[in-house]
Amino acid sequence: MRNGDGQLSLRTSGLSVQLGGRTVLRDVDLEAHPGEVLALLGPNGAGKSTLLKALAGLLPYKGRVEIADTDLASLSPSKRAKQISYVPQRSLLRSALSVEEVVALGRYVHGGSFGGMSANDKEAIDHAMQTAHADMLRKRIFTQLSVGEQQRVLLARALASDAPILLLDEPTAALDVGEGMAVLRLIRKLAARKHTLIVVLHDLADARSTTDRALLLKDGGVVEQGETRDVISAEPIRAVYGVKLIENARIGFEPDSEDRKPGVT
Amino acid sequence: MRLYPLLFLLLLVAAVLAVLVGSGDLSDPELRDTFLKLRGYRLAAAFLAGAALAVGGVVVQGLFRNPLASPSVLGTTAGASFGGQVALLLYGLAGAGSSFIVPEMLVPIGCFAGALAALAVLLLFLRITQDLLALLLTGFVLSALFLSLSAFVTSVAQETWELGRAVVSFSLGSVSGTGPRQLAFALPVIAVALLASWFWGRSLDLLLSGEEEAQSMGANVGAARWWSAIWVSVLVAGAVSVGGNVGFVGLVVPHMLRPFAGTKHQRLIPAAALAGGIFLVACDVVARLIPSRSEIPLGVVTGLIGAPLFLLLLIRLRRERAYA
Repeated sequence: MRNGDGQLSLRTSGLSVQLGGRTVLRDVDLEAHPGEVLALLGPNGAGKSTLLKALAGLLPYKGRVEIADTDLASLSPSKRAKQISYVPQRSLLRSALSVEEVVALGRYVHGGSFGGMSANDKEAIDHAMQTAHADMLRKRIFTQLSVGEQQRVLLARALASDAPILLLDEPTAALDVGEGMAVLRLIRKLAARKHTLIVVLHDLADARSTTDRALLLKDGGVVEQGETRDVISAEPIRAVYGVKLIENARIGFEPDSEDRKPGVT
Repeated sequence: MRLYPLLFLLLLVAAVLAVLVGSGDLSDPELRDTFLKLRGYRLAAAFLAGAALAVGGVVVQGLFRNPLASPSVLGTTAGASFGGQVALLLYGLAGAGSSFIVPEMLVPIGCFAGALAALAVLLLFLRITQDLLALLLTGFVLSALFLSLSAFVTSVAQETWELGRAVVSFSLGSVSGTGPRQLAFALPVIAVALLASWFWGRSLDLLLSGEEEAQSMGANVGAARWWSAIWVSVLVAGAVSVGGNVGFVGLVVPHMLRPFAGTKHQRLIPAAALAGGIFLVACDVVARLIPSRSEIPLGVVTGLIGAPLFLLLLIRLRRERAYA
């Protein structure tokens, strides 16, 4: 097991974000723990992605974010990146970098300015690519991959940083059912390795099947938080989405065998 | 063939041609040394300017995440040229009598200020829009602005004949008149800036994914942007002070190299420095070979190669992004 295979909790108190004079996130208190997946749920515009970006240190915020009792605001960008890794929904990368080179970018905070890769860097990159099932894509050009393959590579890039806390912004959006399932299984695997995961999810069924605890947002405020099965229940869902929850109404899927990874063909 | 042996071979060929080709006759033993010395300076100036401009191109392309960016397209070269002219003018009007200000130093400083001003305007403007065409148009407008300001400086300088000649010959851009004092000043400046650009290469790799992702991966985006801009300004200033306003090197050379050297900056930058030097030395040989009464300015040769390539790249990129 690599040293980054997590042991840090993340905690916020009174976290608020203002963008362009408008309050988009109001007094959020949350906790996320190693070995646990926390889902951020809510309708479009509720502030899920904003919350995730604030936790990643990408947006100015009021209030406090702590990682293992250290104030996030007191950390330099590189120290923060060693603790927290953020996976965007889609990368803005348009240059012709290979998958291997993209994953190696995750090692930025561990390297010196003079380039070159240590044996430790190489090991971390290999390990990350194997974990995210991206190793067979190694020599491919990132921009030429499918959305699902790109998502796995972005996950590998985040894992290569050895950060114990992972923030994922709608990792299953735009993926087909097999690709999506592969990513959800990977999320569970990372939780089993004691990573702390905070995941924005759109699909409530995915949240139900994959996450331990959930935070339900509406208009920038927390409506409900707790165990996922309690949060995704009739009352809060009606209050936030204006829809009626029907148990067991959806069709379900599972991988057809253990050795064939869904989405990996 | 591997990249570096090929580049060194090309450098050797270009350097031999640069020494042998020219209007002077090397068989005259009395003049031979003088000719060789002049061509040696010229070779060094072209190599330095080419190396600086090519690496400047690599860095701005990373900085703006755009393969169409280059110091000349973005108006940085025009800014440097204008800054150099202003420095010459001020020197001519005020400093000529004093012994501790020399134009060899004053001109590069003026070039640096002009280049940095041009880049700063672009960086600030990009906070408003990230659009490809907006970036290129802003660069174009900056270029036009600096050219008209340069025309103003030239007309003021015409009031004294000596000064007017100096300003005009500087703005035309040529490596033919570059002397050892200019080279001695430009060499360390360009060398330091090349190293510094290489040093920021890892941050530029991260910036290829955009500011937000770069920051999330631990880059200090603000510092990376401004330091890169500063070192590009130093490179362009150094290049313009020894070679004048030479365009498109920073566009052509990185584009030709990427298929061989890849996209990662710390691999691309040393190769671009070498290839840029070779390219400009070769262009200078071509400029000497074209028969004409007076010598063709170096910028004309690079422009004839660079402008069509720029249009080609623009069409290809628009097509790619339309389908992306």
